[in-house]
Amino acid sequence: MEQTPATQPMIEALGLTKRYEDETLALDNVSFAVRTGQIYAMLGGNGAGKTTTINIFLNFIDPTAGEARIDGIVTHKEPLKAKAKVAYVSENVMLYPNFTAIQNLDYFARLGGKTSYTKNDYHDVLRRVGLEDEAHTKRLRSYSKGMRQKCGIAIAILKDAPAILLDEPTSGLDPKAGFEFLGLLTSLRDEGKAILMSTHDIFRAKEIADMVGIMNAGKLVMQRTQSSLAGENLEELYLQFMAGSVERAA
Amino acid sequence: MFATLLQKELKSILLSPKFPATFAVCAGLLILSISIGIHEYQVTTRQYETATQMVTQELREQAHWSGVNNRTYRKPDPMQIFVSGVSNDIGRWSGVSQFEPVKLRHSAYSDDAIFAIFRFIDFGFIVQVILSLFAFLFTYDAINGERESGTLALTFSHPIPRTTYLLAKIAGSWLGLVIPLLLPVTVGVLLLVLFRIPFEASHWMKLGGLLGVSMLYFSFFVTLGVCISSLTRRSNVSFLLCLVAWVFLILIVPRVGVIIAGQAVPVPTVAEIEAQQDAYSKDKNEQHMKSMEAKFRDREALMSGMTKEQREQYENDHMWSWMEENDADQKQITKDIEAQGVKLQEDLRNRKALQERLAFSLSRFSPASAYQLAVMSIAGTDITLKSRYEDGLRSYRTILNAFTEKKQKETGDVGGIRITMDSEKGMSISAPKENGTLDLTDMPQFAPPANASVMPVTDIGILVFAILAAFGGAIAGFLRYDMRS
Ligand SMILES: Nc1ncnc2c1ncn2[C@@H]1O[C@H](COP(=O)(O)OP(=O)(O)O)[C@@H](O)[C@H]1O
Ligand SMILES: [Mg+2]
Repeated sequence: MEQTPATQPMIEALGLTKRYEDETLALDNVSFAVRTGQIYAMLGGNGAGKTTTINIFLNFIDPTAGEARIDGIVTHKEPLKAKAKVAYVSENVMLYPNFTAIQNLDYFARLGGKTSYTKNDYHDVLRRVGLEDEAHTKRLRSYSKGMRQKCGIAIAILKDAPAILLDEPTSGLDPKAGFEFLGLLTSLRDEGKAILMSTHDIFRAKEIADMVGIMNAGKLVMQRTQSSLAGENLEELYLQFMAGSVERAA
Repeated sequence: MFATLLQKELKSILLSPKFPATFAVCAGLLILSISIGIHEYQVTTRQYETATQMVTQELREQAHWSGVNNRTYRKPDPMQIFVSGVSNDIGRWSGVSQFEPVKLRHSAYSDDAIFAIFRFIDFGFIVQVILSLFAFLFTYDAINGERESGTLALTFSHPIPRTTYLLAKIAGSWLGLVIPLLLPVTVGVLLLVLFRIPFEASHWMKLGGLLGVSMLYFSFFVTLGVCISSLTRRSNVSFLLCLVAWVFLILIVPRVGVIIAGQAVPVPTVAEIEAQQDAYSKDKNEQHMKSMEAKFRDREALMSGMTKEQREQYENDHMWSWMEENDADQKQITKDIEAQGVKLQEDLRNRKALQERLAFSLSRFSPASAYQLAVMSIAGTDITLKSRYEDGLRSYRTILNAFTEKKQKETGDVGGIRITMDSEKGMSISAPKENGTLDLTDMPQFAPPANASVMPVTDIGILVFAILAAFGGAIAGFLRYDMRS
């Protein structure tokens, strides 16, 4: 990866290390970068350190060493400034069950500082993420997990932030919904967002990611561009790295 | 930002299923209590007016100033509609005459014991006990509930300062509960106007003070609920903690304060005081008897060598001074006994006051007690009501007695008196109803003590301090709160 100094990465981890209070080393000197117009897929099994990485980017936890940066802003030093530039979709999007989809969207849009959206904007974005019109004014308590994930991405879209962080957004979705979800991500990438997504879905990752990183036990054990993966069997690579048979980080 | 957060809090309270239930209970209770309070006030006012008229009538029918036995009723105060305080516990009337000391008798509770069992559910009680519970009910999961439901992380992926969020939480819960309560309070105020309760400017001000202190009190529980919620991870834990805090602050601390004060400063009972007084006078009398005996023996000894004539002569010479001496002794003894009685009563009052002060100071560790004391002193139905009234009655008694004596001298009538003893009405003394009616035009009238409503500065200070402490706890908890679900 050539890096021209003129374009600084939108999402960047520099020697990110996290040791929890109970001494678990969840992240060990992890570095990577995601530029605008790129999707970075963070692959790894349970406990690899994916969620920990994303939580540091959101300043939910402080790193033990190293830095997470959004558009050059160090997240644990200027969390509010950094958060203004990042949208987040969690593994299990939870919204206010007593509010309708529109009400939830309106609330979170305002929290993101977007006050000029109209009802129509909300309907449009809900349609874009694949929610039927009759669902828009239903209370969230009646929503399925897939519908909530769609709502979550709608909220991320409305925030219109240059960086988007997604933590296993397709886990628990049926294949069709998962496919649609990835289509949305591609379109967002094409709009110039920098997207960091954690997943353990190797096939989809290969399909849409511009860059794939494999994490194991807190280490980033492999990192490849999509083009360099062409013709390679990612599944095999993944299993190799997960087994620890290849002792090198990218 | 703040407005958005606040709006959302209000909306989610209004949409939550617990809202209609709590609102119905609060509104129903408030309106009911004010209606009952108004009714009670009207009934007691009518009673007061009839009784006062009857007393005047009776006075007029008496023939002699010497028999004048006035009876003064305690005037109901409209503030008791909101905070009944001790107004149902202390007597409603007292005799005012030369013959009996001032003492308020026949409290509402002694006449209608059933009310004493259930007490009176007034505005102060509803705020103190029920609204505080509801405040907890709306705030115990303010923070940890959002974490549990997973919305806290999404919220804090947005650029929101934690203190702003916390303030909005507190303000939202506060408004979400206060705004709907203004409705029944407004209805209550309309009822006051509708039923022509004599509310003067000073009463309205006191009502404003009541509402203000109530809001302070309520703010404390809202803030404490949010504080407990931001110090715990799980809402079932914070629910339990809130419940414990509520029981502790409302039910335990106030009573424990009184119990400890009772142990630390024991106050003798009336029987004990009487026994002491009896013992003292018995002692004094015995002493007197002994000294009399001693004197008698001395005199006998002196006179032992005398002849019968000498003896008679000696006795005749000294009898007068002996009698005088004895008389003086007797008088001294009576004076001493009286002084001892006064001293004992004063001791009793001082100890009572000390115990009261200690009990209040201790129970003020709970803002619930501070609130109760504050609203009672604003409404003027606090514990000093009885002594204020009795003090007023005593000075009236002095004036009235002077007046009747003067009248007696002017009219020169002494008249016979009739003493009746009645287990119900106590002792009453009256002159036989003969001819005339007394001219009462210039008889001094009892002026009820000005409703000495005091600004409860200490208690307001305690409430403000408690709010700040709870807020500090909430901030401390939330600044290091782990937003992850
Ligand atoms: N709050 C925590 N305290 C202690 N250890 C934790 C905590 N959160 C995660 N871990 C540990 O850190 C490691 C990485 O976890 P995580 O980042 O959640 O992995 P992933 O999201 O890739 O499944 C795991 O071993 C996990 O047990
Ligand atoms: Mg995870």
